Amino acid sequence: MGLRFAVLLVFVGGAVGAIARELLMLLVPTLSRGFPLDILVANVFASLVIGFSTGRHSRKVINDTWHLMVTTGFAGGLSTFSSFAYASTVLMKASITGALVAAAYVLISLMMGYIAVIFGMKIGEQSH
Amino acid sequence: MRPLDVLWVGLGGGLGSALRCWIGRLVGEAYKGRFPLSTFLINISGSLVIGYLSVLFNVDWHNRYGHGMVVNALVITGVLGGYTTFSSMQLDAARVPAKQHARVAASYLLLSVAAGLLAALAGAALARAQD
Repeated sequence: MGLRFAVLLVFVGGAVGAIARELLMLLVPTLSRGFPLDILVANVFASLVIGFSTGRHSRKVINDTWHLMVTTGFAGGLSTFSSFAYASTVLMKASITGALVAAAYVLISLMMGYIAVIFGMKIGEQSH
Repeated sequence: MRPLDVLWVGLGGGLGSALRCWIGRLVGEAYKGRFPLSTFLINISGSLVIGYLSVLFNVDWHNRYGHGMVVNALVITGVLGGYTTFSSMQLDAARVPAKQHARVAASYLLLSVAAGLLAALAGAALARAQD
């Protein structure tokens, strides 16, 4: 696949993913004490999607074109590391409670994201 | 939120994702090692920039969407959100060979987060130092 075509696919998938994240940010409330539930939901769901698409791709159910648009494009645009990291530093600096919330947010995000990828791959690898 | 914000987020997210794809290819051609260097570099640089811009533009972090600031929709939610990725980082961790799995995967994730938080703090400090 040529670089120009790949970048175009990723542009389209990434745009849709980012809009989905913006809508999630508006629909999902931030929990009390500033826990960024909206970004957690976006990141965990994107991890599920990237795992599932990787599983389907390894089974050759979807081709390279779709796989790139869904993983590097959609899941990459839906998930975000920059907001995840910066929100954690804002919480950390606010108060002791904030620092604890930030630590919980980071660990819960990492564990749930990891489980979501593995789970997504498992169901994606099933033959039907 | 204005309908226009959705358009800005989409445009920024597309551009950021395309940039990530392009940088990923460049890094992939230059570095053939096992460490997922491109995702790591992308996430750390995106965290630095988000810290810097959030302080520079006085972004009220808890009310950053729906307030009609183009920098929020286009750059922070759009470009930086699309450029950085949480899901690829998790996929990289999940692909660690089974033999060395748990420890290497956990170290990679914690290293990424620690570097990302430091980069975000450094970006914010850099913007404050300029005031």
